[in-house]
Amino acid sequence: MAHYLLSVHSVAGEIREPMTDDEMKESFKQIGKLEAEMKSSDSLVLSGRLHEPDTATVVRISNGEVLTTDGPFVESKEHLGGFYIIEAENLDAALAWATKVSKTIKRPIEVWPFVDVRS
Amino acid sequence: MFGADNQPNGRAAVPVDETAVSRIFREEYGRSVASLIRAFGDIDAAEDAVQEAFAVALRKWPGDGLPPNPGGWITTTARNLAIDRQRRDARGRELLREVAVLLPHSDDPDAGREVGPLEDDRLRLIFTCCHPALSTEAQVALTLRLLGGLSTEEVARSFLVAEATMAQRIVRAKRKIKAARIPYRIPEVHELAGRLRPVLAVVYLLYNAAPPAPAEPDLRREAIRLARVLSTAAAPDRVASRVAVTA
Repeated sequence: MAHYLLSVHSVAGEIREPMTDDEMKESFKQIGKLEAEMKSSDSLVLSGRLHEPDTATVVRISNGEVLTTDGPFVESKEHLGGFYIIEAENLDAALAWATKVSKTIKRPIEVWPFVDVRS
Repeated sequence: MFGADNQPNGRAAVPVDETAVSRIFREEYGRSVASLIRAFGDIDAAEDAVQEAFAVALRKWPGDGLPPNPGGWITTTARNLAIDRQRRDARGRELLREVAVLLPHSDDPDAGREVGPLEDDRLRLIFTCCHPALSTEAQVALTLRLLGGLSTEEVARSFLVAEATMAQRIVRAKRKIKAARIPYRIPEVHELAGRLRPVLAVVYLLYNAAPPAPAEPDLRREAIRLARVLSTAAAPDRVASRVAVTA
């Protein structure tokens, strides 16, 4: 078994068609269903949705001093918006989950393998 | 139709010189590597062992004559070499215990031969090399390297890139297969439509990549060979039509 990060990226300033309340409800229902499926097959390790990138803070050590600055570390239009960490037999199994997530939230999903710390 | 695959000029059994061994290398390398990858789960170990087995063949065959089943001989020898290497390697000892369960206990050189079309490990290998998670360049390079037995230099020359560039491309692709755990398997029937597309694209690209040149590895011949292997897979109709186009 291996671990994979399924990440969802949000694009800063991108205007998406606003969802109606019903669509929003339906979307949450579908996501809930998918996460239940992940849990029941012991595939889900952790999932989360992140706030907007301008809520992020960077801490770094500069000349022995702690420097705290506003904003995400990577200056980019695309930011991590949410993620699933899953456990899967191989890439094909991870891609199958990514396909389901992508269909549900209608966004591209990036599948990234974790380094196996035991190897 | 598949005349290119047969031994040209009736140069069949004797004498066993370097030309004969290199012809067998071309024909059997992919099958042996594919079989060893399944047994050992490691592409580099499989390649090393098969290359070493051919080096042994080059020393033995000119004196002993060609074995009745050269491909089976190579695969069996490569397996034994790989097992020897693991035995020597302290870290491999634990692995060996698992491998021993997987390997058939037989000295029969035919042990590694296919018994049915789907038993051919080359099919697994084609689908791994042409996995959609790899770039098209990587797919083509890996297919030529692992199934066609072309050296990195030959693959580089076929695509007019520097050898170092090609070497890096192959190393990176192998690393991705290992890190992302691209599986070594034939896709299920319901996946086949999507998975066959890049495979056929690679076969077609190979066929069209280079004009046949007597001194160079003939990519068209590789394309036809791969198409033959594929035509034993679950979608014979589509492959057959592609073979008809390329052959």
